[in-house]
Amino acid sequence: MLQYLRFFHWQVVRYGARHRLLALLNVLSVALGVAVYLAIQIANQSANRAFAATIDVVAGRAELQITRPGGGLPDAILPVVARQPGIAAATPLVRGIVTLPDFPGEYLQVLGVDIFTNEPFRTFELNDFAPGQFDVQEWLRVPDTIAVAEAFAKRHRLQSGSVLRAQVDGADRSLRVGFIIRAGAESALDEHFAAMDIGWAQELFARRGQLSAIQLQLVDAREVAAVTASLRAVVPPDASIGTPAQRGAQVANMLGGFQLNLTAMSLVSLLVGMFLIYNTVSASVVRRRNEIGILRSLGATRNEIRALFLGEALALGALGVLVGLVGGVLLARALIGPITETISSLYVLLSVKELTVTPWMLGSAAILGLVSVVLAAWLPATAAAKMDPVRALGAGSIIEQATNLSPTWLWAGLGAICLAASLSFLALATGPPWLGFGAAFFVLTGFSFLVPRVTLSFSAVADRLLRGRLRGPVEVKLAAANVARSLVRNAVTIAALAAAVAMAIGVNVMVFSFRRTVESWIDQTLVADLFIGPASNEIVGPSSFMPPAAIAFWQNQAAVAAVDTFREIDLEMGTETIAVAVVRGNERRRFPFLAGDGAEIMRRFRNEKCVIVSESFARRYRVRDGEAIELPTPAGRQSFPIAGTFYDYSRDQGIVFMSAKTFVPLWQDDRVNSLAIYLQPGVSTEGLITQFRAYFSRTGQFMMLSNRDLRRRVFEIFDQTFAVTYVLRTITVVVAIVGIALTLTTLIAERSRDLGVLRAIGASVVQLRRLLLWESAMIGLLAAVVGLVSGVCLSLVLTGVINRAFFGWTIQLAFPWGALAFTPVWIVAAAVVAGLVPAWRAGRVVLAEALRSE
Amino acid sequence: MKPILFSSIASLILASCVLAADWRVAQPGWRYEFPRDHHAHTEFKTEWWYFTGNVADVSGRRFGYELTFFRQGIRPPAERAPELSRFVVGDLKFAHFAVTDVARQQFHFQQRTSRGAFNEAGFDDGERLTWLDSWSLRMGGDGVFHLHAEGGKTALDLRLATKKPPVIHGVDGVSRKAAEEGHASHYYSLTRLETEGEVRIDGQSSRVTGESWFDHEWATNQLAPEQVGWDWLSVHFDDGTELMLYRMRLADGSTDPTSSGTFIAANGASTHLPGRDFQMTPGVSWKSAATGANYPIGWRVAVPAMALQMEVRAVQQDQELALKPLAYWEGAVEISGTRDGKPVRGRGYLELTGYAGPLRELQR
Repeated sequence: MLQYLRFFHWQVVRYGARHRLLALLNVLSVALGVAVYLAIQIANQSANRAFAATIDVVAGRAELQITRPGGGLPDAILPVVARQPGIAAATPLVRGIVTLPDFPGEYLQVLGVDIFTNEPFRTFELNDFAPGQFDVQEWLRVPDTIAVAEAFAKRHRLQSGSVLRAQVDGADRSLRVGFIIRAGAESALDEHFAAMDIGWAQELFARRGQLSAIQLQLVDAREVAAVTASLRAVVPPDASIGTPAQRGAQVANMLGGFQLNLTAMSLVSLLVGMFLIYNTVSASVVRRRNEIGILRSLGATRNEIRALFLGEALALGALGVLVGLVGGVLLARALIGPITETISSLYVLLSVKELTVTPWMLGSAAILGLVSVVLAAWLPATAAAKMDPVRALGAGSIIEQATNLSPTWLWAGLGAICLAASLSFLALATGPPWLGFGAAFFVLTGFSFLVPRVTLSFSAVADRLLRGRLRGPVEVKLAAANVARSLVRNAVTIAALAAAVAMAIGVNVMVFSFRRTVESWIDQTLVADLFIGPASNEIVGPSSFMPPAAIAFWQNQAAVAAVDTFREIDLEMGTETIAVAVVRGNERRRFPFLAGDGAEIMRRFRNEKCVIVSESFARRYRVRDGEAIELPTPAGRQSFPIAGTFYDYSRDQGIVFMSAKTFVPLWQDDRVNSLAIYLQPGVSTEGLITQFRAYFSRTGQFMMLSNRDLRRRVFEIFDQTFAVTYVLRTITVVVAIVGIALTLTTLIAERSRDLGVLRAIGASVVQLRRLLLWESAMIGLLAAVVGLVSGVCLSLVLTGVINRAFFGWTIQLAFPWGALAFTPVWIVAAAVVAGLVPAWRAGRVVLAEALRSE
Repeated sequence: MKPILFSSIASLILASCVLAADWRVAQPGWRYEFPRDHHAHTEFKTEWWYFTGNVADVSGRRFGYELTFFRQGIRPPAERAPELSRFVVGDLKFAHFAVTDVARQQFHFQQRTSRGAFNEAGFDDGERLTWLDSWSLRMGGDGVFHLHAEGGKTALDLRLATKKPPVIHGVDGVSRKAAEEGHASHYYSLTRLETEGEVRIDGQSSRVTGESWFDHEWATNQLAPEQVGWDWLSVHFDDGTELMLYRMRLADGSTDPTSSGTFIAANGASTHLPGRDFQMTPGVSWKSAATGANYPIGWRVAVPAMALQMEVRAVQQDQELALKPLAYWEGAVEISGTRDGKPVRGRGYLELTGYAGPLRELQR
């Protein structure tokens, strides 16, 4: 052991100290992978915790909860429910969301509670601003009086009696701050929670006679099934009865796909780090061939040699892991905002105040980082261990024999590509979707395995060409031969660069195709001239409704040709919560259907009791046109045939569209979240917007987007979503190019004898430099070509397999031809630049020294 | 939950000094009318129907009971709108129910509170003067009251008939509680109600008979800020007369001069007793383990004008309603003493408030 440490010091620590850039890059690449992975884990877990805490606050100690889509549980059933056998306590709840125009982006989730019945349920305390007191009369008497979290009051400098301007369903209201809501012992309270008396909450949210939930405690908690059954008879048919944990599981399920995708993205960066480790360890093996030979002849075993290189990788990896853990926590802070926003707008309103960092997370990230390092370093370290000491010490100029390339590489490569194809097929046909990531991995490794064969063929072809009619300059000829001669070394460099290029191209093509697809989808579906909704919906999702007067305003404008209304409601389908959009109008909006006669489908959609579903919905729930989905309605469970399936890219959990003509009579609910306005030809939106604001600015705040605004918004979000991807792609390429520079530098040292011979037989310094630059260029070219081919394959996997399997999105493959064509150019250019320093050094080879061994 | 009802009851009993422009204030000149005034007076902020009594079964096993219905006005009548959410509270309803099991020296008490969103609690519904869940006070067409309460280990079902007319306390229709204008209540009692019915404890039911006292009081802002609590006493003497006394205690420990009482002759004629006409001197006290409050549960009372001297003794020490947020002692007592030199005995109820905690701080 001691001996190992001494070796280690000589071979690794001093080597690392001499090649600081290399060491630094290794550390950084591991750090980056670990950091991104950890950050995503932290963000995901924190979001889950925040959601669990939300359930804690809202459901409190309820053992059973009755809710109804749209929140419309008639309050008259409360006494009936409370009298059912097995119920120990029952309390009503009204929930609503207000946004606060004075604090942009801020919202409050208001719980309307009944202090007389919710005592056994509460996980929070209500107090006056003076501690330990509670003026029940004020609580009950004064309309719109709320209790806010202490942190919230402090942050916004609110005192007892402060007035908060609030938006409720697009209308301006004033809330009076009168009380403080404090978390009980169990949980931290999200400061976006507020509480008020249930009576005034019903008034505030215009929900007279309606409850969001009835919470229950049971005499015997084991009797959930029996109590649920007896409750069924007294609640509306579409009410759902479940434990808060079930609701938690439903949301966790919704978030699961989204979070898995984030995790997968974070693993990509770890993969990139692995390539770099592989590359640099290989380089260091090649570079230190002599030392290996000496160590081996001095009695070091193969295992010791392997341990030496693995140790080197691990030492750097451990440093990288440490940096990565710190960076991960910092990065999580930056990521949590955007991630929570996405979750809030797509799934469930959430605010994450605290990051959850558990030892387990840190441990798993560290282990993952170290394992990836060992995996990446294993092959080159093993190669070093297997090295024949005699050949390693051999002084001859031809060190590597290129002639006997084992066919295993070819077969391994082709095998991996076949495997990728099978995994793709499986991911689409049977799932699980993550098999798609396996396919992506095997595409990359498969093409890497093919690199030696391709390099050899290139060399052979180049040789023939240059020998034949094309009498190229001698240094080109030599360069082509050299590329193949240092096959192992070069193949590693080329494979690494090719993989980086492939990743860049794959991601590029995927994003490009995606964008194109979304563009054409928007062209088809986003046809209205103006989109209007309560401003709060932008912050908290579709929770507010358009005031009827505002709808009437638009319907009565002469300049308005048509008004479509849009409503979103969460319904329960089986054990899952699905999003249902209720639309009215839609004469002009064209749904791009996957199959069938669009006009006929739309005719059925408008006139018959049926639904149309998004592609992602159909895929997720494995339903097809002609089949039916069962949904709970106030009139009991009803079956809704699927008239058609349309392309939709708005959300990965899918969406069901139902016409208002079907929905309103069944649900008796005609509230709408937003409007789409179609103008008469030649009318400008600005004038109407001004007019509308003049009418309604005093009563509420609305978000009004013209068609162009909305498009811009969509693509802003789109680009934001892929921002992380862009960054990772860039890092990958930079890392790969640094890899070329490193390899070439290594090559120079390695081939000093070789170069010395060339000088001795009359090659000029300029010729030597040219030779090396040509070699660089060829490496770049090979990598670009292999990268292009594997990149295109990868893009097929990303767009056709991963996107479809994960999100159920069909993306029309489109190639950014310009960027693709340009790829070899800039890769070769980058390779040449990377070769400049080594080439300059090659010119300085001291002849005598270089030739000493000949 | 603790602080919620605390201030609620505190403000009820001490009738906080919140300005109550929207509520009617007790003013001299109220003309009592029955049965009208048995019903609720929702234009006043606070109101209670207070029944206490001593009963016994055929074997002589004695019980004391208290059943009180409170109405705490939250929104004055002008602000009430029928179209508002059913959960918006006009009146807060709560009730206290206690039974003293003298033989076993046990005391059972409980409290219920309701907003009455579903008519599960309210006032003036046919025969029901007031009710809260299954607890109710009914008045039949024959003027007989019917009390019903049950919960926990105890249940009570009593019919109460009166032979005496209602006794109006105070002067000119108001019972003054402090010197300042408006600090008064409208207050009458049915001082001797023949009582019969059923008391159930631990599933064991007893037919009982006895005598009860009914106080009905309504007011807005009846107490002054410097008053910390009161001691109230009602007595059924063996000779068919009754006595009610209350002593308002001030922060400095002295007695508010507006304290007063009423003596009711056997024929129903009543005599107002101003504070200067009687002395109440605390004797033996009992310290509650539950609240730490020290209650003077024995008293020496002198009413010189009536030539009355008497000792008041609790039938048992623990008759504290250790309720959250506000605890008080309300229990059955026995009386012995002399009037005009002749021995006189009686039974009654004693109420001691403001001993279990700093009530003053709750007067906001």
